[in-house]
Amino acid sequence: MKTGTDITKKLVFAVAVAVVLALPWMTGPYTTQLFILTMTYGMLGLSFAFTIRVGLPRFDSAAWWGVGAYTTAILMTKADMSFWLTLPIAGIVSMAVGFLIYRIAIPRGMMVFLMFGMVIALAIQQLFGSVEFFGGWGGTEVIEAPAIGGLVFDGKRELYYLGLGFLGFNLICYYALMRSRIGRSWNAIGQSVKLASSVGINVVRYRMANVLISNFFLALTGSFYMAFSLVAVPATFGLDKSLNVIMYVIIGGIAYSLLGPLVGALILAFVPEYMRVAAEYESIITAVVIILVVIFLPEGVLGWVSGRARPWLLRRRPWVRSVGSKNKEPESG
Amino acid sequence: MSLLTLENVGKSYGRLEAVSGLEFSVDKGTVHSLIGPNGAGKTTVFNLITGTIRASCGRIVFDGEDITRLEPHKIAQRGIARSFQQTFLFMDYSVLDNVLTGFHMRDRAGVIREFLHTRAAREADERAREQALEIVDFMGLSEQKDELAGNLPHGHQRALGVSIALACDPTLLLMDEPVTGMNPTESNEMVERIRRIRDRGVTVLLVEHSMRVVMDISDMITVISYGKKIAQGLPDEIKHDPQVIEAYIGEDTDAA
Ligand SMILES: Nc1ncnc2c1ncn2[C@@H]1O[C@H](COP(=O)(O)OP(=O)(O)O)[C@@H](O)[C@H]1O
Ligand SMILES: [Mg+2]
Repeated sequence: MKTGTDITKKLVFAVAVAVVLALPWMTGPYTTQLFILTMTYGMLGLSFAFTIRVGLPRFDSAAWWGVGAYTTAILMTKADMSFWLTLPIAGIVSMAVGFLIYRIAIPRGMMVFLMFGMVIALAIQQLFGSVEFFGGWGGTEVIEAPAIGGLVFDGKRELYYLGLGFLGFNLICYYALMRSRIGRSWNAIGQSVKLASSVGINVVRYRMANVLISNFFLALTGSFYMAFSLVAVPATFGLDKSLNVIMYVIIGGIAYSLLGPLVGALILAFVPEYMRVAAEYESIITAVVIILVVIFLPEGVLGWVSGRARPWLLRRRPWVRSVGSKNKEPESG
Repeated sequence: MSLLTLENVGKSYGRLEAVSGLEFSVDKGTVHSLIGPNGAGKTTVFNLITGTIRASCGRIVFDGEDITRLEPHKIAQRGIARSFQQTFLFMDYSVLDNVLTGFHMRDRAGVIREFLHTRAAREADERAREQALEIVDFMGLSEQKDELAGNLPHGHQRALGVSIALACDPTLLLMDEPVTGMNPTESNEMVERIRRIRDRGVTVLLVEHSMRVVMDISDMITVISYGKKIAQGLPDEIKHDPQVIEAYIGEDTDAA
């Protein structure tokens, strides 16, 4: 039996999907470009929110994003490979290199993971810039836009739909993972490492799997980035970008692991544009915004909205309550 | 038949010997209590058995296998579950989800099936749910099954801690002060449950401060003080042991 709420919910969902699909036809190329950026940043946020489930905040998301972008760029230019073929390779490279680093960091706990993240973010960026092979600080370009048969993804509209494809794949995989029993064990680790290992969860292995999956999707997002930017510059993939990724997640609402990063990315992609603030104040503004959010919207924008909207519209994921949740015990190992 | 044996087990923190030269065995199918004044090293013994901390010396043998150097999750997988002295729960999960998390080791459909949410995975989930509900029911938490663990009153949180341990389907259950902070009714119910857990064939190693509870349900008691064993015996023997009485002088009346 269908209740009225069910029907309204379906209706809201259908309208949302229709709007998302029609967007590039309702706006100009510049706004469409902003939406493409929103999707890119949103995907980075999804991968950050994913490792938060196991209690590991990563400061290197942009670096692995860069690994994906560079893998695709280099395979396309130096090996003349098709864009599509570079996708799985980018993901696997990111996982393989990540594994070598994290097998040292993850057994040593959250603090070491966090430190490694920052150091790696800087090191990978320098690798791209200083090693001749990667094209130097000026970056490396690809000339060829991805294409399937006659469909070439070179216009903003085409790229927008390509982005939707990537985003959809991210959302479906992350959703399926979090819903499964593996997801339950991941969330358990995020809440209490001690209790999780006492029920037989191999914390190191579960964290490793989680972080490597995140690495895979970060790299995929990097490949997508190459499809629309056609150039990879080391400066794009720096530590500051990784910090921005954290902002998206916190501003959107850290308890909403799927919608939160998207809302946060949307806000941070569009608000500065419309405020017409000069780029030189961006960091100051971001700092002020994040402080205000932590004070006044500790559950993020979605947490604030769901307090006001009908409860069925937004079902919060209960397991990460807010930034600085008081319920969590400190990590011990 | 002894299920768990500690041989000359010691743990020191710098110059403090929290546990030293400790020897005792827990027989299969019994409730074995480990008692001693505050700071005697009881929780440390639990941490040693479960691998949370590494022994400085000695050997711990469980079910014929040396588990001294195993990691906590491996020891859990061998069949040792514990409830903690502090209330460790998955605070942001519902009661039922807490117990389901304890099912981590049981009845898995396999990673790929779980990811794809196949029929086999859904059926395994459904079975786990039913069994989790039984445990929740057994521990008297049926009415709270959908509450967030973090919102439960203290007594229920303690009961939930034990429920999670039971979900692991243990051979040996370690309970660290399970009735602490409970009111008398809750406490009596817990004692009754411990008895029923034992009657189902689970061996229980119990640390408890309330002498009334310990004397009531123990099949065997080991007393430690300053990390060393000072006595072992049946409840009636321990009650009248002069060394035990001496160790407890200065403790609160309930313990004396
Ligand atoms: N991590 C630690 N570092 C230093 N000393 C500790 C540590 N853990 C416990 N101790 C000390 O070991 C002794 C035994 O503690 P514990 O096992 O908690 O006692 P009980 O559970 O019997 O009350 C105490 O003196 C305590 O202060
Ligand atoms: Mg103790």
